[in-house]
Amino acid sequence: MQWSSFMQKAQSFIDPANFPIPNLTSNDHNPSKASLFRQQFRLPDSQNPLQEITAELILPIPHTSPNTSHGDQPRNLDRAGNRYAGRLHLSERFICFSTQPTSFVPSATHGASTHWAGQTNGTGPSGNGFIIPLSSIRRVERLNSLSHVFSLALTTWNGALGKQQSGSSGFVPQRFTIQLVGSRQACERFCDGLKKGLREGMKEIENLRSVISDCYSEYLLSGAKSKDQNGENPEARQPPDAGLGMIFRYPGDARKLRDRSKMRLWGEYFRENGRNATLIRQPTFHKLIRVGLPNRLRGEVWEVSSGSLYLRLRSPTLYTETLAKFSGQESLAIDEIEKDLNRSLPEYAGFQSEEGIGRLRRVLTAYSWTNAEIGYCQAMNIVVAALLIYMSEPQAFFLLSVLCDRLLPGYYSTTMYGTLLDQKVFESLVEKTMPILWEHLMKSDVQLSVVSLPWFLSLYINSMPLVFAFRVLDVFFLEGPKVLFQVGLAILRINGEELLDIQDDGSFISILKTYFSRLDESAHPRSENPKLRAITRFQELMVVAFKEFSGITHQAIVDERAKHKDAVLENIENFAKRTSIRNLGPDSKKLNPDDLGIIYDRFYEVLYEHQQRQKLVDEEKKRREKKRMERTSVLGPPADHEVGRVGLGPSPTHMDYDAFRDFLAATSKWAVGDSPAPRKESVSNSWRGYGGSPPVKPEPADHEFMQRLFRKWATDPSEGLSLQNVVNGLARLIGPRDIMNNIQYFFDLYDDTGNGKVDREGILRMSEALLFLSRRGFEGTITPTQASEDFGSAPGEMSNDKLSTDERFLGSVSSFIRRCFEYADPSNPEGKAAVDNDTSEAADKLGSFSIGDDDEEEDLIDVDDEKPKPTEESKTPGKQGSESKAPPQSQHTRNTSESHNPALDPNNPLHITLPTFRMVILADELLEQFFDSFFPQSFHLSDYPQHVSMASSLSSNLTTFSNIHIPKPQLSSMSGVSPAGASGGIVPPGKGLRGVLDNIVTDGIRMAAEVKKRMDEAQRELERNALNRDEEEDEDEDEDYVHPTGTPATPAMVGGISSWGAGAYGADPERRSVRETDRDLLEGAEAMSVRGKDDASMLDGKDGHHQPGTAEGSSSNSPPPSSNLGPHRRTSDEQDKVVSKTVEFES
Amino acid sequence: MSESTSANTPKPSSSVKLVLLGEAAVGKSSLVLRFVNNDFQENKEPTIGAAFLTQKCSLPTRTIKFEIWDTAGQERFASLAPMYYRNAQAALVVYDVTKPSSLTKAKHWVAELQRQASPGIVIALVGNKLDLTNDGNDATAGESQADNEAEPSAADGEDASGENADEQDASSGDARKVSTREANSYAEEESLLFFETSAKTGVNVAEVFTAIANAIPESSLKSGRGTGAGTGQTTLGGGRPAEDSRVNLGERGASTAKEGCAC
Repeated sequence: MQWSSFMQKAQSFIDPANFPIPNLTSNDHNPSKASLFRQQFRLPDSQNPLQEITAELILPIPHTSPNTSHGDQPRNLDRAGNRYAGRLHLSERFICFSTQPTSFVPSATHGASTHWAGQTNGTGPSGNGFIIPLSSIRRVERLNSLSHVFSLALTTWNGALGKQQSGSSGFVPQRFTIQLVGSRQACERFCDGLKKGLREGMKEIENLRSVISDCYSEYLLSGAKSKDQNGENPEARQPPDAGLGMIFRYPGDARKLRDRSKMRLWGEYFRENGRNATLIRQPTFHKLIRVGLPNRLRGEVWEVSSGSLYLRLRSPTLYTETLAKFSGQESLAIDEIEKDLNRSLPEYAGFQSEEGIGRLRRVLTAYSWTNAEIGYCQAMNIVVAALLIYMSEPQAFFLLSVLCDRLLPGYYSTTMYGTLLDQKVFESLVEKTMPILWEHLMKSDVQLSVVSLPWFLSLYINSMPLVFAFRVLDVFFLEGPKVLFQVGLAILRINGEELLDIQDDGSFISILKTYFSRLDESAHPRSENPKLRAITRFQELMVVAFKEFSGITHQAIVDERAKHKDAVLENIENFAKRTSIRNLGPDSKKLNPDDLGIIYDRFYEVLYEHQQRQKLVDEEKKRREKKRMERTSVLGPPADHEVGRVGLGPSPTHMDYDAFRDFLAATSKWAVGDSPAPRKESVSNSWRGYGGSPPVKPEPADHEFMQRLFRKWATDPSEGLSLQNVVNGLARLIGPRDIMNNIQYFFDLYDDTGNGKVDREGILRMSEALLFLSRRGFEGTITPTQASEDFGSAPGEMSNDKLSTDERFLGSVSSFIRRCFEYADPSNPEGKAAVDNDTSEAADKLGSFSIGDDDEEEDLIDVDDEKPKPTEESKTPGKQGSESKAPPQSQHTRNTSESHNPALDPNNPLHITLPTFRMVILADELLEQFFDSFFPQSFHLSDYPQHVSMASSLSSNLTTFSNIHIPKPQLSSMSGVSPAGASGGIVPPGKGLRGVLDNIVTDGIRMAAEVKKRMDEAQRELERNALNRDEEEDEDEDEDYVHPTGTPATPAMVGGISSWGAGAYGADPERRSVRETDRDLLEGAEAMSVRGKDDASMLDGKDGHHQPGTAEGSSSNSPPPSSNLGPHRRTSDEQDKVVSKTVEFES
Repeated sequence: MSESTSANTPKPSSSVKLVLLGEAAVGKSSLVLRFVNNDFQENKEPTIGAAFLTQKCSLPTRTIKFEIWDTAGQERFASLAPMYYRNAQAALVVYDVTKPSSLTKAKHWVAELQRQASPGIVIALVGNKLDLTNDGNDATAGESQADNEAEPSAADGEDASGENADEQDASSGDARKVSTREANSYAEEESLLFFETSAKTGVNVAEVFTAIANAIPESSLKSGRGTGAGTGQTTLGGGRPAEDSRVNLGERGASTAKEGCAC
């Protein structure tokens, strides 16, 4: 069926998996390869996997300290150092190597990309290897080789950036070899990619220099060096900021922590394997982290292993810029931050001082500005306070960002769904790994998460003594969130026996509190073995966590999260929904709870849909502008951040007019646009410029009436409608079920000035709205009494019974207009005295009129029989005059006659008042029923299961009432297709009196044209419905986004229809064009990998920095002018030269 | 067993799960701290998730051990609340008498509890920070005096409301923004216990808990659970005789009040 496919398509649109933009292709079960790649190597969101190849990393023999041979390194070949087989990956700005067999290129099967192995299972820089920004690679040489081995020697800037002269004696640059394994072609391709990347990377070398200068390792190593060489670098003697600990001491006893020896070990490791940006991970690295980081290097290693260093590298000044940009501004988040500043790790001296509190305030504030979606969540204060003990403000700022976006997704969001989700995951892991304990907890009615939630939310920082919490963090930043689970499980396992005795939450909490307070004690105090005795409870905890629970891998967590996600979100959403509905205030009580629920759901459904569309549009725009998928801001929610559910975080709160139209379309039949009428696509609707979004589901109409509703409901129309507004609006409309109320409501909608009067223009608009509302039929709510007196037609009137309700309604509206004008009061002051008289008089007249109006029915029939009435047109002008006598010819002729009525004379401004309006409505049975039942009941809430059925009935309407509703927009909106002029009797806002005048003059001509057109229309419609049913369905599908190529628009109509009235068709050219763009997006997804490459080359093309002629074959001289990049770095302008310069192939 | 450790009399002991809810910074944690430790701190660490504390309350016929879940007030923590009010027999919904929005929030919580929490949950509406109002300043001595002198309905919010409402309009330079009458009439409508307190000065704090203890229907009391003796080390110190006597006095008042529970 037409509408079932409709629905399918709507659903497929909603499914995020179908969003074609690579960065949006997020789905919990199958994250995109790019995002896996980024997670694996902790790269910024701007990075994509471009190239990959199997390779072997060959490290040189450590030159600095030959005495320390690494016993733990498996293969120590004679001349070369360690060798590691793995895979080499290239992104836009990074080259990464990992011993883990993973593949991220788009061609890789999903199985391959999820096949994680090794220590960290893809959560982070796992295994052995490196992640090196291309900017820190100084030179790449192709090595001369005997066999067909394709090997590259990479030389990095490691240690060379800090000094002006690196060529001085004793300095050995970091250099290592990579053997590519693959066909020559594949190797060449990789090298080409590398070349491009290297050139791009050169631009970032200044960033690299400044970022690295903040790293303590640089100071550590150069400091040692300068001692040897009589310290020529006075400024290098100032140690970089390694956190508040430098001022207020680091927590714990440095001697007990063996800080010095750790420092020495790290110094040694850095000297052999590079540091910060050029660090190579070998097994020792992981071991050194497991034993705990030394105080002054802790911040830096956190930065490297979490990947926040790469964010900082990207925009080193973002932190200070953000603070400067928002300096002095206020926000809710800032208020909340302010409340907590004095109570964040108050036991640490640094946070009893202005210095520490100032840093904390700045970091939290800056982050709340860069990620307004999160803003500030309690617990962040504790985490950031902890970070600041070991890091500088900018370092903590970027690390916080990695925490919120990557490591703890959704933890601090406004719904905290991540926190709740991970609690569920934790519970289910406990159930799996410790079933007996779990059963006991269940039996004692102890809720695990009340205990464990703070562990996760504040990373054990306020649960364990600080020294131990930091040890957990050391591993956490390297290995990812699974560490939190492993530690949590280990805590329960170690305390398992005691926990089996507990009866309630209280004792549970107390046992764990005691345990945490004794972490530094011996785990085996009574053991004979002194070695065993020396093992602390914390060490025991680490061993249990990482040995016994080594099966808790990142993949396991990911799987569990996927399993529980829906239930958790649903819980949150139910909570949010019932809270929000309950808080809607007194007006909402007029609606029943089911209705409120429906309104709520529909409201957010529409909002999210619009948000998604907007996002697509924005992405597309950005793509067009920048020609590459790079995020404008380094921070903020990750690119593959999920949206679209209340449970996921802050929701949009207000709907704009376009969203409102969609809302109405889902609620009321009349608000559904007239698509798939062919003309709608072509209508140029200019009155709202920003609606550029592809529609799903029933295309909403756009009618002045809807605009009025929108304005009426909104507290502030520029802000949009809140849920509260919508509920109040609907409650007033359909709550009381009171005809008087409804009539007044309608009148008020058109009482623009609020003075209780509706002028001529308003009257016309009202009638137009009546037609608009009724054009889809009445759904059985209006049943004209067949007794003809009521309708004023004589008994025995021909074919009276056969008149459809709709046809009769047309007549009613027609007489509505007439009567309105008849009983209108003149607006000029002199006329005022007569108002009272008029009203009563009017009532009399009305009575007589409705009885005597014989001809109306007949005329209507004429129209419905589709007799063209050109003659009628010419006749009508003559008929005007005596109102009671003039038989209205038809809806249109009536209009025409109206327009020639003296009452329409613009020189005689007139108005109707509410009593008049009421009287006119009540005088007509159909109108009365309209306001009594149809209008309020046309808003379908819980009584109306789905709009699906609406779509179906819509199509049937198209057939049944074709001759009424198709031409109707013409009639009602008087659009300017007619040769006569741009607008009909009803003027677009702003055209004013002159428009009215114009209209009156051109009325006759317009009528003729219209009647004819209506005929044609009806004919066409009939034919289409009867013969080309299939075709119509095809068109529907086009509507539905599935065949976006097909545009059933008739281009000929484009220019001809005037802006305002045309809106009634619900069309919007921008929307159409957006669909086109969306199609591009679809294509874009497929072409992504290619685009990545292309973009790079485009950039190359654009890049004007290359300086021709600076290149020489040797690497020792010719630094580019005005560049202090160091002598070995050079720029080049063309690709061939790069081969000879930046990349030297010596074959 | 808990009853043997701290109570002087071998009265039957039962534990009651009580949850505190309310907007951020209305003083939930401070109320608990006052009740449990008779202490007040300007800078308390924010509550992450919820804090758990216990305190005993001695009634003539029995001892009630409150297991207090003090929840975080920041708006976004609201979605965690169901976890904490699950199975709660009593709730303290706290607002700040100087902040009208906090009463609105409190009403939301009341509605949430009435629909979602265990049926029969005893809810007390508490307007905190009375010390910032003129009533609070005047009443600090006066009211607690009244309590100690066992004025029959001292613990009943209604009584206090009468006086306060009279005073209120006259007072100027008063930070009060929520009138006693307004809150009280709301409380009556929803049949809640109602108090205005000051965690800072201690006014009415013990009375709140005593009134709740009395309002808990006997039938819903579990007998003292298990051997969780060590519960809340920090909190168990508070078996102060002085407090106990005050508690008893207040309790008498409350038992004659509208809740009129059988105990």
